[in-house]
Amino acid sequence: MTNGLLHPTRRGLLMAGGAGLLTAALPGYVAAQAAPVKIGFQLHRTGIGAAYGRWYERTAQAALKAINDAGGIAGRPVEILFEDDATDPKRGSEVVDKLTQSDGCDLVMGTLFSHVVMGSAPRAGELKVPYLVCSEGYHVASGALNRWTLQPGITDVRAQISTMAPWVAANLGKKVTMVFPDYAFGHDHRDFFTAAIQAQGGEVVAQIAVPPTETSFTRYFPQIPAETEVLYHVMVGPAVLTFVKELGEFYGTGAKPALFGFIDSLEAVDTATPGLEFLEGSHFWEAHPRVKAADAGEHEGHYRAAVGVDDNGASVSDAADVSTYSHMFSTWETLYFIKQAMEASGYTGPADRQKLVEAMEAITDLPYGIERPQGAKRFNGKTHQVFGAQHISQVQGGKLVKVHTTTIDEGMYEDAVDYTTMYF
Amino acid sequence: MTRAPRSFDGFCTRVWKALGAGGLAFLLAPGLAFACALPPSVILTLPTGHYITAAALTVALTAIMGVAVHRLPVMAPRQVWERRVLLPLSLTSYLSFLAFLGLVFIGLYGDRDPMHNLMTLVFWTGVWIAVPLGSMLLGNLWRSLSPWTGPVRIARTLLGRTGSIGLARLGHWPAVAGYAGFVWFQMVSLYPDDPAVLAKVALTYWAVIFLLAVLEGEDWLETGEFLTVLFSFIAKVAPLWHVTEGPRTRLMRGWPGSQVLAMPPLSASAVVFVSLALAALTFDGLAETFWWQALIGENPLEPTGRSAVMWVNTAGLLAIWVLTLGLILGAILLGRRIGGGFATGPVMLSFLAIAAGYHAAHYLVMLLTAGQYTLAALNDPLMTGDSWLGLPPFFVSFGFLTDPRVMPVIYGLQFAAILGAHLLAVLLGLKLAGQGARPLAHLPMTVLMVGYTVLGLWLLSTARTG
Repeated sequence: MTNGLLHPTRRGLLMAGGAGLLTAALPGYVAAQAAPVKIGFQLHRTGIGAAYGRWYERTAQAALKAINDAGGIAGRPVEILFEDDATDPKRGSEVVDKLTQSDGCDLVMGTLFSHVVMGSAPRAGELKVPYLVCSEGYHVASGALNRWTLQPGITDVRAQISTMAPWVAANLGKKVTMVFPDYAFGHDHRDFFTAAIQAQGGEVVAQIAVPPTETSFTRYFPQIPAETEVLYHVMVGPAVLTFVKELGEFYGTGAKPALFGFIDSLEAVDTATPGLEFLEGSHFWEAHPRVKAADAGEHEGHYRAAVGVDDNGASVSDAADVSTYSHMFSTWETLYFIKQAMEASGYTGPADRQKLVEAMEAITDLPYGIERPQGAKRFNGKTHQVFGAQHISQVQGGKLVKVHTTTIDEGMYEDAVDYTTMYF
Repeated sequence: MTRAPRSFDGFCTRVWKALGAGGLAFLLAPGLAFACALPPSVILTLPTGHYITAAALTVALTAIMGVAVHRLPVMAPRQVWERRVLLPLSLTSYLSFLAFLGLVFIGLYGDRDPMHNLMTLVFWTGVWIAVPLGSMLLGNLWRSLSPWTGPVRIARTLLGRTGSIGLARLGHWPAVAGYAGFVWFQMVSLYPDDPAVLAKVALTYWAVIFLLAVLEGEDWLETGEFLTVLFSFIAKVAPLWHVTEGPRTRLMRGWPGSQVLAMPPLSASAVVFVSLALAALTFDGLAETFWWQALIGENPLEPTGRSAVMWVNTAGLLAIWVLTLGLILGAILLGRRIGGGFATGPVMLSFLAIAAGYHAAHYLVMLLTAGQYTLAALNDPLMTGDSWLGLPPFFVSFGFLTDPRVMPVIYGLQFAAILGAHLLAVLLGLKLAGQGARPLAHLPMTVLMVGYTVLGLWLLSTARTG
């Protein structure tokens, strides 16, 4: 009798089996031993931002699962600690503090509302903790914040608006009337679009600013000049349905200008909702087409399945529960950005936070992949702002159908700040 | 607590004078403005103005017809059955107390996300909404669920304590103080949803009440503890209720409000308590309206958050309370002056119907939204991905909020609750005004009821930030 593969002994089999079990168990043992990466998530769970917060949390949970299933960050499991900021800047600042000091999070992310970003970013700067926002505000790239605050998951509103002008001028018309709510959000649209359409040889023939407290709009419509070719509207809030209804009544079945809007008006709202018929044929900006485009990338389906969203952008559990599709991808992409930067910098713990920010600032090209389901992006380390392609969709049969995709370059603008020259 | 209506005169007059002399002072705070994400409102596209007009006319006509006809429906209760008490109060209360301790533990050490934490969810959707709503249909459920009765009974037995320290003399005033503090915590303070904050506040309040009830006796809870007082008041509109005496209990049925007619007149402190209930619900709705946001200088499309409006909302809440109390007492005094009758204590009972109707209408949508999170949290309490109740993944869904087929139905239910509450209040007012009241005496109260109906329905149908 000889020992060998053909004639194994019982003892040998037991030893080999034991060794095999050990080998199989080793990665799990190592992973279990590695301390988790702890990411603090400043969540708009209650307060005015709750409608977005629900989808931000859901998308972040999906990305977290995907990252952990694929081995975590540098072999370490990842945890997210969600903390409600009540969509309040004072609470937001306290949440950054708590997540960093009490909970020992490696960094903080997730904020959407600009006033919470503005209230929290200074505290993140004081605590020297990376603060990654998902708000699309121009506040990061404008230079108003600090070296610890970055926006790597979503294009800012200045770029979004600017990219729309070339297509609008070429396809809808060059004489534009703008209707917008009379506060910072509306003013961004007014200023950035007016400049962008002028660069395309177009002009804004009227700017109609509607007070934010207004809930009926009929008396503003006569201010729309007859020569208007495009009506650019960015009304938001509870009265949006009223706005569309009254606009429909104003124009009736007669001639009307082409309508162009931002999906912010109807984010999380079904465009087939009765009362919105007047929007049929009109166009909207979308960051991420909520209705799956015919030429959608290969990762689109996987992303939707992970978040639990169907091909119309609604929850798989309720076709009427439309997601905040044009914004929520930012939490997914921010998490993958964190993973990339942590792995590139060899991040091991809070002592490496400065190194982590420097690694983030060094990132430039972010190619399309499961890490970025909205599309490829370019990160500007100096302004801490990411730039991606935008989309224009048309309401066809009550559904948003993507008709155009911009280039990333169309949204680029001159740097207003170089955060890399600032002290940590 | 009963008191002769006569004792009210001085009290009412003092309040009325204070109102007239002091007026209302509003503090205005500058507002900041940034971003926006309010969902569109289907209700704003409905012809709610017609509904409100119709409701106002209905309330007015009911009052006029009631006064003119002099023949009101008899609202006598009937017994449905009698049986033994199945679960003694001490046991259910003690189990409720254990559950409360469990919730406090979850609040302090569980998930920090309020929409995943059972402390926040069970309290705000269960105790605060589901229990009173259930009580409006089935009688006072809180009586069995109070986490004090059992522990107090046990503690007093163990300590051999039978006496009191005289808290009963304070009437409902301790409950008024507790309720006022709670309303401020709920509507004005920064973090009423934070599980740990809520757990600490709840535990502290429980301990204070427990201590006082051990010293005074468990019966004191019925006048001194605000949840017990509020829920027992609201439950008085129920068409079904239990009357328990010793080991036997009788299930009764009757028209909503039958129980109210059997109540003794409200004391001065109880009158103030009821006015606070009405004012709190009014202010909670009002503070979210575009009208209020504009008044305090906030941009309603992107309000700054609670931290920016704490003081102005505190002032607003107090002002609405004083205004509510003043208007009610003013209508009663005026009615008495021009038509006789109209003793405050009995007439004030009719407002219990409005408190109940408003509570149901006001919190219905919150029950339908946050209630889903409660079910989801109960479905997977350990956050392990389990499904104890068999709910599917992504169960929580708010699609109905922008659905033009669903929201009119919800508004219809709220409309019915508000209108029904006011019609019942008018009917009770006619019965409770006393034989000495001439038809003209009802005029001020009818005007107030019509105004309050319009306000209640307007609050539910106007543009709001929440």
